[in-house]
Amino acid sequence: MSHGTVMPVAGGPATLAWSEKAKAEVAEALARYPVKRSAVLPVLWIAQREWGWLPTAALKLVAESVGLPEAEVYGIATFYTMFNMKPVGRHHLQVCMTLSCSLMGADRLFKHLEKKLGVGHGETTADGRFTLRRVECLAACGGGPCLQVGFDYHENLDERKVDALLEKLK
Amino acid sequence: MSGLVRVTIDGRTVEVPAGTLVTDAARAAEVHVPIFCSHQKLPPLGACRICVVEVGLPKLGPDRKPVVGADGLPDIQWMPKVQTGCTTPVSDGMHVRTRTEVATAARKGVMEFLLVNHPLDCPVCDEGGECQLQDLAFAFGHDYSRMDEAKRTFDSEDLGPIVKKEANRCIVCMRCVRYCDEVMGENALTAHQRGVFTEISSFDRQPLACEQCGNCVEVCPVGALTALPYRFKARPWDLRQHITICEWCSNGCSVRLGVRGMEILRARGTEFRGVNQEYLCVRGRFGHDWVNAPDRLTTPLVKTGAALEPATRDAAVAWAAARLRDIAATHGPESIAFLGGEKLNLEEQYLFQKLARGVLGTPHVDARTRQTAAVPGASLRRAIGAGRRPLTFDAIHEAQEVLVLFDDLQGEAPFAQAAIVRGFRQRGLHVTVAHPRRVKLARPRFEGDWLAVRPGAELSLVLALTRAALELGVPEGTPSDVAHAFESLRSSLAAGADTGVPQAAIDAAARRMREAGRKALLFGRGVLEHPQAAALLQAIENLAWALGAITAESTSVMAFGAHHDSAGAIEMGLTPDLLPGGIAATDAAGRAAFEKPFGRLPQGEGMATRDILAAAAAGKVRALWIASDDLLASAADRALVEQALERCELVIVNELFLTRTAARAHVVFPVAAFAEKEGSTLDSELRLQRSNRALSPRPGSKPDWEVFQEVARALGAEWRYRTAEDVFREIARVVPGYNGLSFATLLPNGGWASGAPAAPHIVAVTPPAEASAAKPRAMALLAGGTLFADGSLSKRSGTLSKLAGAPRARLSPAEASRLGLDAGDRVELTGPAGTLSLPLELDDSVPAGAVFVPYAGAELNRLGAPSGAGLRVDLQRAAAPATVER
Amino acid sequence: MSTGPLLFKDIDTPGLRAIDTYRKGGGYETLAATLNKTTADQVIEVVKASGLRGRGGAGFPTGLKWSFVPKASPKPRYIVCNADESEPGTFKDRELMEKNPHLLIEGMIIAGYAIGSGLGYIYLRGEFEYIQHIIDKAIAEARAAGLLGENVAGSGYRFDLHTHLGAGAYICGEETALLSSLEGYRGQPRLKPPFPAVEGLYACPTVVNNTETLMCVPHIIKNGAAWYRQWGTEKSAGTKVFSVSGPVKRPGNYEVPLGYSMKQLIEKDCGGMVEGLKLKAVIPGGSSVPLLPAADLDTPLDYESMNAKGTFLGSGGVIVIDDQTCIVDALWNVTRFYEHESCGKCTPCREGTYWMAEVFERLENGHGKDTDIDLLASVADNILGKSFCALGDAAAMPVQGALKHFRDEFEYHVTHKSCRVNRRRAEVAEVRA
Repeated sequence: MSHGTVMPVAGGPATLAWSEKAKAEVAEALARYPVKRSAVLPVLWIAQREWGWLPTAALKLVAESVGLPEAEVYGIATFYTMFNMKPVGRHHLQVCMTLSCSLMGADRLFKHLEKKLGVGHGETTADGRFTLRRVECLAACGGGPCLQVGFDYHENLDERKVDALLEKLK
Repeated sequence: MSGLVRVTIDGRTVEVPAGTLVTDAARAAEVHVPIFCSHQKLPPLGACRICVVEVGLPKLGPDRKPVVGADGLPDIQWMPKVQTGCTTPVSDGMHVRTRTEVATAARKGVMEFLLVNHPLDCPVCDEGGECQLQDLAFAFGHDYSRMDEAKRTFDSEDLGPIVKKEANRCIVCMRCVRYCDEVMGENALTAHQRGVFTEISSFDRQPLACEQCGNCVEVCPVGALTALPYRFKARPWDLRQHITICEWCSNGCSVRLGVRGMEILRARGTEFRGVNQEYLCVRGRFGHDWVNAPDRLTTPLVKTGAALEPATRDAAVAWAAARLRDIAATHGPESIAFLGGEKLNLEEQYLFQKLARGVLGTPHVDARTRQTAAVPGASLRRAIGAGRRPLTFDAIHEAQEVLVLFDDLQGEAPFAQAAIVRGFRQRGLHVTVAHPRRVKLARPRFEGDWLAVRPGAELSLVLALTRAALELGVPEGTPSDVAHAFESLRSSLAAGADTGVPQAAIDAAARRMREAGRKALLFGRGVLEHPQAAALLQAIENLAWALGAITAESTSVMAFGAHHDSAGAIEMGLTPDLLPGGIAATDAAGRAAFEKPFGRLPQGEGMATRDILAAAAAGKVRALWIASDDLLASAADRALVEQALERCELVIVNELFLTRTAARAHVVFPVAAFAEKEGSTLDSELRLQRSNRALSPRPGSKPDWEVFQEVARALGAEWRYRTAEDVFREIARVVPGYNGLSFATLLPNGGWASGAPAAPHIVAVTPPAEASAAKPRAMALLAGGTLFADGSLSKRSGTLSKLAGAPRARLSPAEASRLGLDAGDRVELTGPAGTLSLPLELDDSVPAGAVFVPYAGAELNRLGAPSGAGLRVDLQRAAAPATVER
Repeated sequence: MSTGPLLFKDIDTPGLRAIDTYRKGGGYETLAATLNKTTADQVIEVVKASGLRGRGGAGFPTGLKWSFVPKASPKPRYIVCNADESEPGTFKDRELMEKNPHLLIEGMIIAGYAIGSGLGYIYLRGEFEYIQHIIDKAIAEARAAGLLGENVAGSGYRFDLHTHLGAGAYICGEETALLSSLEGYRGQPRLKPPFPAVEGLYACPTVVNNTETLMCVPHIIKNGAAWYRQWGTEKSAGTKVFSVSGPVKRPGNYEVPLGYSMKQLIEKDCGGMVEGLKLKAVIPGGSSVPLLPAADLDTPLDYESMNAKGTFLGSGGVIVIDDQTCIVDALWNVTRFYEHESCGKCTPCREGTYWMAEVFERLENGHGKDTDIDLLASVADNILGKSFCALGDAAAMPVQGALKHFRDEFEYHVTHKSCRVNRRRAEVAEVRA
């Protein structure tokens, strides 16, 4: 709770380049705004889709694409919780812990997942399959507890249902 | 009164310009409202909330007039929430309360919050004793703490060799990030994460690859950012702090030196004073450690026999005077010449030429030893429109259009660069940079225009710009004689010269400058040390009038000389064609003012540096006095200097260190450093500023002016200056334009001489035919000052030397690849005067066909010119490992 | 199944996402009619007269906000949909957009027309990526049908629309922080004045409206202000979607006329509490507003009635808290939310939410001191009204509300070092450490 330092992005290649598809997407993103830097969030998403997370080289590429200083892009990326500043597992398990879901058993659900997967908040299983995280309100309050896997919502969960869900996630 | 509004703060009513922020109005009303995130150079943020106050406006009746209560005073409607004073502009009739229960409780609450996670680091924090948080907590906070929880913590880190970051202490005021963005244009700092885990750092915590100015440290109101060179060295109360004028460049920044005993421990900005206020560049902030160097000269040296031997002061003075008297008597006064002086204070410059002209009777005086070609001082004065309402740094910041000719301001005039960056970021200033390299201000992020001039085509470009300007007609208000001269000038300006810049860009640049109401035209060593400097200056004078940058009343032109008092050297007559005050040496009426104070004046103009050296080499000039100039390192023609020093019977040198030039002298006088003497200087605005003494001269050394006086007296002159101020009093009495000025009037922000405007002189310039060598050398040599390496003195600063690293030659990656070279390979440069061997570095700012060698300790005059301007070299891979000569 | 008389009416029509189905139900007719027959000023007048207020939480009169856009400004104008829906307890916009994206598009085009905008953005929270796909598809259909682009519905009006995905930051629901994020900066709020209507996106006049608000617009324009006022009260006109969560039998989105009884909503429409639990408290408008005790259950769901009870209608996120839940624990959860979401710009919110969360942790875990209760009250008071934006107030007010109505639970924690009740005590303790 008390230690805030985010360690430097470890690993990742020295340089990265956009794939042809990503390049086209970046161009499309830039075209949607009258001011280039507005595309920084969409382009960060494109980068994260390409590489699963945002290594330093990707941040530099994003900076170049939208014409922003590198340091500023770094500051923007780390402001938002959904940008992965280190590699994540194939399935990113995000459990909502805010009040409504908590009232419906989210804490118990999270504890169950910790025990079952053997990882804590922010950690990835050794086989690279799951990353587990606590997150705040997902706007699924009427269907709590809610687990978002990547971008997919799974609501009204309990331990049995979540076990079944994990089975299907290879 | 239009434009002013009345605001009442804690019962005190003041009138301030409309739009003034409440915090600034409070200052005017002498009410202290604390601030952290607010800064005079940055737009209001309102983040820290420490400046919260109660704000009220008069209740308005149906007639829109203030409702007046029974007590005859307007009824005030107080806003329900406290407001941040730093974001609230005052409006007429506004009331502000800062000491009520509500305001006090709010402020105490904010202060308490600031201390929630701030560690009690004072005993180990460098900021202690001069910490805004300490001061304001004491003034405005509780005297107890209710916070019992564990604090959030971060790892501390070094963000490079200059900045130490203890993020635990950060109060997230964001001054450092914003200053680095908006004033420096470096964008090196950023905030990581958010909320209570917000942490200021660099891109991925990599060492800051920025200008290392340390302004982030300066503006940090707590000890989150501190300077590594100063870490743990002292407490502020250990230090005597004096404000002096920085010795590095011509911008004339005020530096607050912190001295303990006989040692300068650190330098800071002055917050509100001087041209720069809180700003300093890396040289001004961290480059003064040479003053403490152990190898400073402490005894006079005299070469009566074969070698330089220590001598007493009296002996050295007497010997020098005797030799001077001898040579003057035997060969005439004109066999003596005085060189150097751009690094001296105004008083010293005045006395140097008074010694030369008045005591010895020689007209051969020239401070500008770096110049490749002789340039009359008068032509520089005309090119900058001297004697008119000057261009200030504030005016540069407020300009709409700025045109920079052939200088990389980052190395040559960092504060001017910062004024331009801030003008761009905050006011939409547009900058056009004419330079072969894509220097910082020419980079896309400043949204300016880059005129990528071909090296060697500088004069053609100036002529092309003039032509384009005149195509738009003559600027409104141009005096008729200038307008008339333009008519003949136009026909001389041929089109289509190959400048490397498309005509459309030239036309657009000229148009932008013409159409701008507020503009600035800037140039420096790229012009002054150019082989075609004389023609260039004339062309720039023509251009300035054609752009409307010089008018009858004012000038928007600024020149950056090589040294901190280059402007003073001109104004005090350290040029062969000018007497002090810009008076021509041949002006009979003007001379009269000096004849009595000087005793006598030699007739006519003297020789410039190059001719002096040639005359010395030929045995016609037999004595040279060189003031604080390592000629061998800095003069254009090194071989000529060698010959001159060899041949001269008497070489007297004032110096800080035993340079190679000093080692060849017959008399060496050890002199005080800038921080060790009182005096005044002229910055590139031509603002006259007083420089205070921060510490005593190194034992054995004396201010240059005292040396000049001792020798003058030994020569029989009745000089009786007790202090530098005495000299200044004479300047004020004698030099036209300086009447009425005194040391007292120069504080706190300087003063202005008021000479007559330099009369315009618009004539055509014929570009000299480009020397068609049989086999022209392959590459253009580009040089220039850089932040960390700027001449011999910077090599003597440990901090700057470390930042500069070893001298290197720079090629663009494409060019290196073309030549089959890699970073780190050793290359040999061959110029007309010799060769240099340097390791290679890749630099994408360098154009094809050119090699860039900063003044990083590599003595470029070995190749043929100190600034590289107009020089061509051959470049090849070095044959075998060679040592770089220093 | 979510129910309601206006936005939720027919919302589960199969295939409603597809433009053909939407049009079959009358969709885009209002748009065509408005662009060709009504002036922008008239549109604003109708919306003003309807009494429609912002449905995101602030409740500001929509027509009035639109009228703040300076007519004479030569700068381009922007219409921005705040689809950041991150207020805990609120999930109405998600369902509305997921099921009826074309209604949002139609509403935005009409709003754009009203304020003279040629370009609009829908700012979606990052977690709504699947909804971005749905809306993008609908936008593509609208473009193909000539309802977006150079010549909307043949009227000569030019308007285009893009979605923009956030990346996980509640603060980006604050309109100036949203604009900051949309412009490509860290999502931190900006000074007001200037207000977005005058200087918003790219310093141009901008209107930011909530999803639900914009989706009401086509209905209002089609049927008129008086028709809209058939529902609601004088000052709180129309219908609102309330998201009900917590241990009730039928949580979900319920669209009711403003002024509807909260008691009726929870006990009738939602079927009341699940077996074994009784209602102890209810948060009527998302976690940012003070809770109400069970005694105030029968408060009308409108802006004025809630204000009279010392709370706010807010986003309409009704969170029901049962009698076996510790209020201190619940407020700890809420306070931690604000600590996580604080952008860090201003001192009171950044440091105050951290401090309060730490105190709550101690209290909940049995290490409370008797000074803690007054300390919490004091810290909350020092945040309220002193922070840069409303997030600080949102963190402070719930704590004040809990202390006002349930001070006894806090005192119990101090004296007994434990909760009086907490059915989830065990799992909460380990997880939150």
